[in-house]
Amino acid sequence: MFKKESRLGAREGFAMITMMIGVKISNTTPSMFAQTGANAFWLMPLISMSVILPSVILLYYLLKRYKDKNLVELTEHILGKHVGKFVAFLLFVIFFTLLAIEGRSYTEQLKMLYFPESPTPFIFFIFFMIAFYGAKRGLETIGSTAWAFFFYIKASVILLAFLALREVIFARIFPIFGNGLVPLLTEGAKKASLFSDIFLLAMAYTAFDSTKKFRKGVFSGFAFVFLEMTFFFLLYCTIFDYNSIDKVAFPFHEITQYVNMGNFFTNIETFFMIFWLFAALIKYMIYLYLISWIFGAVFNIKEFEPLILPFAFFGIVAGMVPENAVINELVFKSNFMDMITPFLIFFPFLLWVTAKFKGDLKR
Amino acid sequence: MMRKLLMFTVLLVPLAGCYDQTEVEQQSYVIAIGLDKTDDEGTFRITFQAANPEVGSTLSSGGSQEEPRETVTLEGNDLIAAKDTANSVMTKQIALDHTKVVVVSEELARSGEFLRIIQAATRTTELRRSVQIIVSKENASDFLKNNQPLLETRPHKYYQYMLTRATQTGIIPESEIHRFFQITEGDADAFLAIYATTEQTEPKETGNEDQYIAGEIPVEGGNPTQFMGSAVFVEGKMIDILSGQETRVANILDDTMDMEALYSTFPDPKDKRYRIATNFSKDRPTDVKIEYHKNQPTKINVTIPFTIEVVGVPSLVDYSKNKENRKLLEAYIPKLAEEQANNLVKKTQEQYKTDIFYWSLYIRKYFTSIDEYEKADWNNKIYPNAEINVDYKLKQLYFGKMIDDSNLGEVRD
Repeated sequence: MFKKESRLGAREGFAMITMMIGVKISNTTPSMFAQTGANAFWLMPLISMSVILPSVILLYYLLKRYKDKNLVELTEHILGKHVGKFVAFLLFVIFFTLLAIEGRSYTEQLKMLYFPESPTPFIFFIFFMIAFYGAKRGLETIGSTAWAFFFYIKASVILLAFLALREVIFARIFPIFGNGLVPLLTEGAKKASLFSDIFLLAMAYTAFDSTKKFRKGVFSGFAFVFLEMTFFFLLYCTIFDYNSIDKVAFPFHEITQYVNMGNFFTNIETFFMIFWLFAALIKYMIYLYLISWIFGAVFNIKEFEPLILPFAFFGIVAGMVPENAVINELVFKSNFMDMITPFLIFFPFLLWVTAKFKGDLKR
Repeated sequence: MMRKLLMFTVLLVPLAGCYDQTEVEQQSYVIAIGLDKTDDEGTFRITFQAANPEVGSTLSSGGSQEEPRETVTLEGNDLIAAKDTANSVMTKQIALDHTKVVVVSEELARSGEFLRIIQAATRTTELRRSVQIIVSKENASDFLKNNQPLLETRPHKYYQYMLTRATQTGIIPESEIHRFFQITEGDADAFLAIYATTEQTEPKETGNEDQYIAGEIPVEGGNPTQFMGSAVFVEGKMIDILSGQETRVANILDDTMDMEALYSTFPDPKDKRYRIATNFSKDRPTDVKIEYHKNQPTKINVTIPFTIEVVGVPSLVDYSKNKENRKLLEAYIPKLAEEQANNLVKKTQEQYKTDIFYWSLYIRKYFTSIDEYEKADWNNKIYPNAEINVDYKLKQLYFGKMIDDSNLGEVRD
């Protein structure tokens, strides 16, 4: 059921999807892409998007047709109780794993760049504790927070882009296809799960004010974040040359450390770090909340909010499994993203075909 | 009781922020790092020069009698590991966040070992990408010890002002570590680093304002340190030194270098005894056009739009009102500049076999993949055999705020 007078409208949806996907600009995702894409990896979001867009549109079309059902309810309704629950549980596993892997990645960045002496588990713990605190307030609060911080976070990012423009040498985007068109296309398609967050947000469908506002917010946010991502990846490609880009683990932080505002304001990376951290925390609040919700929906737990705490805890435990940040990123995350891409692409088609077969879509 | 205990536990959590707490006072800010070769391969002499933040600040004026800087030299295999060893002498934790320059001795730079030690240094987050590389003629440790600025005694301000100003005039290149890595790893072009020395060699008598390399400039007074010219690095190894004039030409030909107006003199075409003083400024980007042919020599056409402001004509020849003289000057200056540029281009083609102008950027668009581009081989096949045409285009000629010079003959009358 749609909540009447929900505080979640188009702009909250816009801000939430922008935060969820947008923080990928500033973590290790670009360096993971650069391993195969070299100086052409800025084209990869375009490829990924064109691969995943039909599935996203199909899923959102189904959500609209079935009106007041969220992602799990929709899956169960179309695929039947047992298969539906199984698929929904798979979704839960996917997003929980992403939460753990990316949580670890953020922790490692924080540790490496700002808190070299602090133990990783401790940073992890504090990080998730804040995310838990935010998630516990509920989705409406998270949505409002995302919107309230949206402009400050984007303003800091725009400032960074502006300061970094001086270092850009545009001719570095050539040779235009980097390591070749074929590897670029295959890798871009394999990593289409870059935009997996848009599937997760479908869980919050019924929490929004109306279906129209939800779709408007999410799709405009998706378009915005896609452009932002392409622009920033282009910035990385033109600041670093093709032989150097794959050696840089955190291009975003590398740039924040590099730029300065005149001779007086040097070493200004901490300024950007605060906004970056805020964006990451908001993302984890959304993740924790929605993952608990999926779990609750699968196992018929109406009151799912108490589940947030155990999931935050298990997130830390699972995130501590990889040995170090490089293994975490280049092995676990990369492989995992390749693995879930086909699932995310075919899952809406499976729903659609079954619905068609059952004759639900005839009306 | 239970609630109090809980409260206490919760309050402990924010203390986690104290793990990385370091007071500003407990850190020693290293401004310059010096790197020298030793007889052992893999071991380097590392010099740290730390700034004393108390000097020159209004807070401690009058009170502090301390030196503005502390310089420590020690041997080590790695820059970061040497930090701890340096603490046997220096009192505080060494921070490299504010490092402005890395000074490399010419000996180390020419040995090719430099890449090894500097690459390890970029792995840490401490050393910034905007650190500038300086090649010193003498040992880097001597350079840092002898460098005794008189006015800007605080080393961080000294390097900042010194390098900014000298880069603006074009006599030294911009040599950030970031650029060094992009060019060296790109493996196509040569990199120019700042060349400097504190040792005065035999002063060059006949040089004009920028035809020196560091150490040759006949200066009296001031700090013994001279920044002039550049060290050419090919594949991370220094192979040659360019004079200030050649560096200026390289800066003009390279569009990725920021260069503002510079003063320069040209021989007077009417009276060879004197030189015309001019202000040369390149306010529009250098245009590099490359025509790539697979089996024929590649054609590179470089156009440099520039303006000249004549600031002094000691020969008193009337160049401003006399149309004929003006035409002569307008044709003469570009010709002279082109001659300088062509000499430098020829030197890079024949001697270095690669360019120092980052021109490989312009040929990349002919290739769709890195493989193709690397096979075409810019520095072995394309550039040394290219037909290069440098064209200086004088856009405007100004004559300052005076219309004419007073006639010396009439004044003396």
